[in-house]
Amino acid sequence: MAKRNCVVILSSEDEDAASNVPSLSSSRSYTKTNSKSKSRSTSTSSRGRKKARASHSRSHLSKLHEIDLFGDDFNEVFTGSKVSAGTQRSFAEELWVDKYKPNSLEELAVHKKKVEDVKTWFEERLKPLKGVYNNNVLLISGQAGVGKSASIHVIASHLGAIVYGWNTPTPVIWQEHLYNSGTGTQYTSKLDEFESFVERVRKYGLLLTSCTGESKPPIILLIDDLPMTNGKSAFGRLKNCLQFLVKSTQIPTAILLTDYGNADSVDYNARCLEELKLSLESSGACKVAFNPITANSMKKILFRICQVEQCDVTAEYVDLIAKTSGGDIRHAITSLQFFCLKPNLVNSLASSTCSHGSLNEESNKPVRSDYGYSLHFGRDEALSLFHALGKFLHNKRETGVGTEYVLDFLDDEAIDDAWTLSSYLGDADILLAKLRGSYNEAEGVLQSAAASIAVRGVLFGNSNPLSSRWHAVRRPKLWQVEKASLYKNEVDRLRIPACKRFSSYHMSIMATEYMPMLKLLGNRACGGYDGPSQKSSRNLEMEDFDFDKMDLDEQSRGISDDDIEDW
Amino acid sequence: MLWVDKYRPKTLDHVMVHTDIAHNLKKLVTEQDCPHLLFYGPSGSGKKTLIMAVLRQMFGPGAEKVKVENRTWKVDAGSRSLDIELTTLSSANHIEISPSDAGFQDRYVVQEVIKEMAKNRPIDTKGKKGFKVLVLNDVDKLSREAQHSLRRTMEKYSVYCRLILCCNSSSRVTEAIRSRCLNVRINAPSEEKILEVLELIGKKEELQLPPGFAARIAEKSNRNLRRAILAFETCRVQQYPFTNKQAIPPMDWEEHISEIASDIMKEQSPKRLFQVRGKLYDLLINCIPPEIILKRLLHELLRKLDAELKHEVCHWAAYYEHRMRLGQKAIFHIEAFVAKFMSIYKSFLIATFG
Repeated sequence: MAKRNCVVILSSEDEDAASNVPSLSSSRSYTKTNSKSKSRSTSTSSRGRKKARASHSRSHLSKLHEIDLFGDDFNEVFTGSKVSAGTQRSFAEELWVDKYKPNSLEELAVHKKKVEDVKTWFEERLKPLKGVYNNNVLLISGQAGVGKSASIHVIASHLGAIVYGWNTPTPVIWQEHLYNSGTGTQYTSKLDEFESFVERVRKYGLLLTSCTGESKPPIILLIDDLPMTNGKSAFGRLKNCLQFLVKSTQIPTAILLTDYGNADSVDYNARCLEELKLSLESSGACKVAFNPITANSMKKILFRICQVEQCDVTAEYVDLIAKTSGGDIRHAITSLQFFCLKPNLVNSLASSTCSHGSLNEESNKPVRSDYGYSLHFGRDEALSLFHALGKFLHNKRETGVGTEYVLDFLDDEAIDDAWTLSSYLGDADILLAKLRGSYNEAEGVLQSAAASIAVRGVLFGNSNPLSSRWHAVRRPKLWQVEKASLYKNEVDRLRIPACKRFSSYHMSIMATEYMPMLKLLGNRACGGYDGPSQKSSRNLEMEDFDFDKMDLDEQSRGISDDDIEDW
Repeated sequence: MLWVDKYRPKTLDHVMVHTDIAHNLKKLVTEQDCPHLLFYGPSGSGKKTLIMAVLRQMFGPGAEKVKVENRTWKVDAGSRSLDIELTTLSSANHIEISPSDAGFQDRYVVQEVIKEMAKNRPIDTKGKKGFKVLVLNDVDKLSREAQHSLRRTMEKYSVYCRLILCCNSSSRVTEAIRSRCLNVRINAPSEEKILEVLELIGKKEELQLPPGFAARIAEKSNRNLRRAILAFETCRVQQYPFTNKQAIPPMDWEEHISEIASDIMKEQSPKRLFQVRGKLYDLLINCIPPEIILKRLLHELLRKLDAELKHEVCHWAAYYEHRMRLGQKAIFHIEAFVAKFMSIYKSFLIATFG
């Protein structure tokens, strides 16, 4: 297995030189992109290490020193592997992500049913006497590292098909562009290149197959990395061009979309992706969503690697790695490799036994601590807004302010808790009351203090939380109420002649004394008594359009209108 | 025109309710040099009426010719310039504003208005430079900064203008301002006084008042004269001739609050708390000030409450009223009060009935 991979990597390095040119490249390009992302993930893990280092800085110095040593060696190993990548790769230095790439369907950590779905989809389209399908495009979405491309490759090899892929051209940096323009080379945007690529595939896709292979193995087209779009028009072009592809391609095509995990993010790109997905689906693409890899199947794979590598990692650690990876198997494997690196190094450094002791102590620490995330290699995971809400509304104490619907999450009997909660929310409000428009640092601190009090208060106060069940999440009504009362105040002021003619009454007097009476006086008949509840609800509806324009927190606006299922 | 405005006494001589104060004010004003005045007292007691009458006493009938303007002040606030919009009522000799409407920019308003008034002083008939009067409403709602800046401008420009301040509670006006003004407390009129006024209006409108009817209105008005007159007029519109048993129309928001109170008494659970919040929102939308909501709610709750709990409930109401003033979003604090009440009441019920 290892041998095979070595070969692949070598050839991918060869290709690196030619990869500036957009081309249909063979399946090997996959490993290339893979190694790219690997270096990314290693860098994140080393960041994680730094954090860990900081958090452990209170522990005594020798340990710190030792960790630093690890860091150096770690870097050395990886930079070393980079240097030697083109020439030769020793067994130990190879990245496990490549080494233990799945080779058969069974080895895939992806859910069996998903794999089966994708496989049958391809099978149907690759049959020699296939019917004419309208849709030859499969849209696979999922987080980073859930095995999207790996599945395609494994399925392709299982079906004996060749994967051709869109090979993302390296971006042109400014200096390079200057140089190029000197030599007369025109700058073409990546989007242009992608468009022309798609155009070619649509028109000559079949032609190309006939010239490459004599035996005509079936072909799968893989579009892994969509070009970056900036702005509406560029995005529109990308969308159109992909829609064309969906409608007219004859080759079974898989488009991989990487979700960035948080659909509710305000990030423009994330929203674009969502839109793209929808538009492709509507034009006939088949969609499969890959879920994050479950901790169990992750563990299975990690154990297998451990066995092959003969490193004794405790089950707890594998557990921890599997949990912290957030369903990202690439990350998990890299973490494992990094983790296994350490004991070896310690041995080779011939350090004293005490360092062993301290290592043990250290390795126990994260497991013991209440926050299960203090590993050096925890994936830097940002909680999505809803996840965060769920975490504290359901009072998961192991571990961000929607205050309105806290009450739904309380036990029916727990009115004392309700009081504690609302008191804490009141505290937060008092802290925020000092804010006066302009922002400076102190107010930032105040803000986060208030947020912290609100969150912690809610966590603390909810002493017997309800079990998870379906909850509707609503947007806070507070803004609407404020807006409506302002609006009403204005209207009333205009309506009441007394206010104009005489002195300017304060609105409280208007509301409490004039308005109720005027309602009666104005009607002239006692029949049309209009209770405040009806009136206000109507008012709210009327004003709904306006409310959307106010500066409600954008996030809560985006998600608020739907009731969202419990998570 | 509403009766409230129609029968508002125009001069200090016609004032019916606070005759002694009116008398003293008249003496004070006729002696030419008038100090700054601070009127304070509950709403509906006649502060505004007295102020208008004082202005008339000072400047003659001209003071009644007012015009309403929406004015914008350009204020240079250090790094940037602000545009502050306020409604003003002004005659040749006075300006009336409610600076607290400007929110947290209120301090700029006070300064700016007074400066401008100082710039163009009127010249009276004898060629002497006279002074203008600035009437400030709701001084107690001014922020602390605004009150400080008001104090400074008061000192600096006191030659050019007189201030008449008007507020409900002098306790929220800083000591510094209070000591620079002549404080005039306007009590809520007694029920007899209100009755007197109602009967006078009845006579002028040529109405037949059944005995005890006006007294009932006076009693229901909570010693608020404005409210009494408004209710009186409403009764007149709803049913005339009056009958002795005629219902005096209640304020809808008060009804609403008593509804809330009985909701709270019936069930104490987070779910009910949530429903109560919806009702509180209804009130807030209708511009009922949160302080008044809380006060009224306490009032309603106390009526139904066991004497044993009254002290504790009052304590918490005061506590949350204070916090409400410190904070920004009143709903949190009202809700906290309701939750606290529910919690107290529930444990009380459990303790007594098991």
